[in-house]
Amino acid sequence: MDGGKFFGAFRACSGISDAVVLNHVPVGCSWGAGMFKTVSNQPDIRHACTVMHEREIVFGGENALKEALVRADRLYDASLLLVVAGDVPSIIGDDIEAVINSVSLKKDVVWVDAAGFQGTMRQGYESALLSLADLMKECDRIQKSVNLIGLCQDDYKAEADIKEIKRLLNGAGISVNCVISDCTSRELERAPAAELNVVIGQGYDLARHMQKEHGVPFIEVGYPYGLAGTKEFVDSICQHMDMGYDLEKDLNTEPFRKVYLNLSELYGTPVSVIGDFHAKSLADFLDRELGFEIEVLSSVEGDPDQFEQDVKGSNTTMLFGSSFEQKIARDLKIPLLRFSYPVFDQVCIYDEAPYAGIRGAVCLTEAIINAIMGFGDKLENLTMV
Amino acid sequence: MRKFCIYGKGGIGKSTIVSNMAVALAEDNKAVMVMGCDPKADATRNIVGRRIPTILDAFRNNGPDQMKLEEIVYKGFNGVYCAEAGGPEPGVGCAGRGVMTASEMLTRHGAFDQINPDVVIYDVLGDVVCGGFALPLRNGLADDVYIVTTCDPMAIYAANNICKGIKRFADRDEVFLGGIIYNGRSAINDPSIVDRFAKKLGTRVIGGIAMSGIIPKAEIRHKTVIEYEPDSEIANGFRVLARSIYGNQDRVIPEPLSDDELDKINEDIDELLKERENVAI
Repeated sequence: MDGGKFFGAFRACSGISDAVVLNHVPVGCSWGAGMFKTVSNQPDIRHACTVMHEREIVFGGENALKEALVRADRLYDASLLLVVAGDVPSIIGDDIEAVINSVSLKKDVVWVDAAGFQGTMRQGYESALLSLADLMKECDRIQKSVNLIGLCQDDYKAEADIKEIKRLLNGAGISVNCVISDCTSRELERAPAAELNVVIGQGYDLARHMQKEHGVPFIEVGYPYGLAGTKEFVDSICQHMDMGYDLEKDLNTEPFRKVYLNLSELYGTPVSVIGDFHAKSLADFLDRELGFEIEVLSSVEGDPDQFEQDVKGSNTTMLFGSSFEQKIARDLKIPLLRFSYPVFDQVCIYDEAPYAGIRGAVCLTEAIINAIMGFGDKLENLTMV
Repeated sequence: MRKFCIYGKGGIGKSTIVSNMAVALAEDNKAVMVMGCDPKADATRNIVGRRIPTILDAFRNNGPDQMKLEEIVYKGFNGVYCAEAGGPEPGVGCAGRGVMTASEMLTRHGAFDQINPDVVIYDVLGDVVCGGFALPLRNGLADDVYIVTTCDPMAIYAANNICKGIKRFADRDEVFLGGIIYNGRSAINDPSIVDRFAKKLGTRVIGGIAMSGIIPKAEIRHKTVIEYEPDSEIANGFRVLARSIYGNQDRVIPEPLSDDELDKINEDIDELLKERENVAI
């Protein structure tokens, strides 16, 4: 299920950790996007809303935006205001640029045109990153440094995954200059200092823009799930930077040996996977490293009804997706492992338990086995209800 | 309750016709209510004698819960109840949504229950530009629609477009075309042109209004013709038209004309214009 352009833009903007995001939308849109974000980091409420009601729809939302800009400027201790304009202002033709220019504010303001009906969540993300690119400044190159583009703070396991990816790259002698978008405005401003942009699934438009404007080349990589996926990830970056580094020596297969019997039993398990760009990389891990059979692999931009129909018509015994897949999993009485946005019925607060990288491969394998082993009890409860 | 709406090209005389028909029906001891659905909010000015505050003014100033019925419905000449939807300033917001909001507010604050009118007339913006201005065509708000047109090609073109909107809702049994109102105030005054247009649509000309100098005189004084010159021929014309529409039972799903069919009507108008020029020479 795709949240549309507004959600993508909101996610990109809210990743700037010292900025205030001002959603120019009716309250429901703002609440929805914010809820998915704050579920695992509840004090991080840096978003405000113009709360467009019927009055703003009929008479225009420019006054409400003006008032909200002034208030947000006064109330939040932040240097940057990011205005995300959603469906309603786009339909009624609010002149966002003119409103921003009409007020004198202490904070810098960037705005994103993000009418949900104009495109997918991914397009909203891409377009917001391009708007944020205006904040970037020319700066001296930092050798052996990369930017990671395509990540969001509200991705499931984002904090732990980014920590693990940084650990792996640091081990290879590479520093992470900026994670886009999970960075401060200062880090974003200095993003052009990186030697290479590493695009993970999305953010291509920004990477192309930075190549053209700042001369930062980019490569595209899959999400580093599993040992093989992680090795490919690190190898691609090292290769591009002419760094002779072999991750092989860091690969520790000991934890997998501990569950050898479980893994043998699970070999050939038919599963289905749905998600954003993470899905393909996860399916590769399940297929190549755990020996699962991928019955259905689908993108969130596809038809959700078709996915449900395909899964129900397959031999799927385990599902990998987001919280939205609960119903299919319940209908089929099979376990669901959440890995893709949005996850709003679980929290992930431990930043040492990633799904990405070498440590992530262990955590992911453990989570899969436990989801299957514990499922008998859950099923009993489900049946009793 | 008899409910109908009047559509037609901008400036065609809708408000003149609506206000005079409303006053005429009130003379027949009917409780009449007029709702103006144009953001310009001037449909009822000649009934009340001045512009009245609009429903959306009250909505903006007091919010949806605090407004009072007496702030949105005003009594005019012959006791006709008048309400104006109003709307945003030109170029901002959504006037179409405004019509919908105003209509909801009118119902929510008991206008129909408390006033219990025998007749409700909707006076709508010149064209069905979006869903909001099609509101009177939906949800059973009106039984039928009457379109005002002159012999001018653009007026006929607009009427044909409006029929496309009516057809959409008539196919769903929500509203029907009741007929065409002929306004003789144009360069060519030949009722047979509009007769033919009406027949092609599948309906008829239910009545007409002749050109009259009394109309602008009355309107300059913010009065209806019936109030200003009650015994005039034109005042009687409005009375006849009002009664025809009130009693009309012939309702059709219109069949809008194709561009080619409209061009044929335009050729006839062109011929008449040439004839007139020749006579003048």
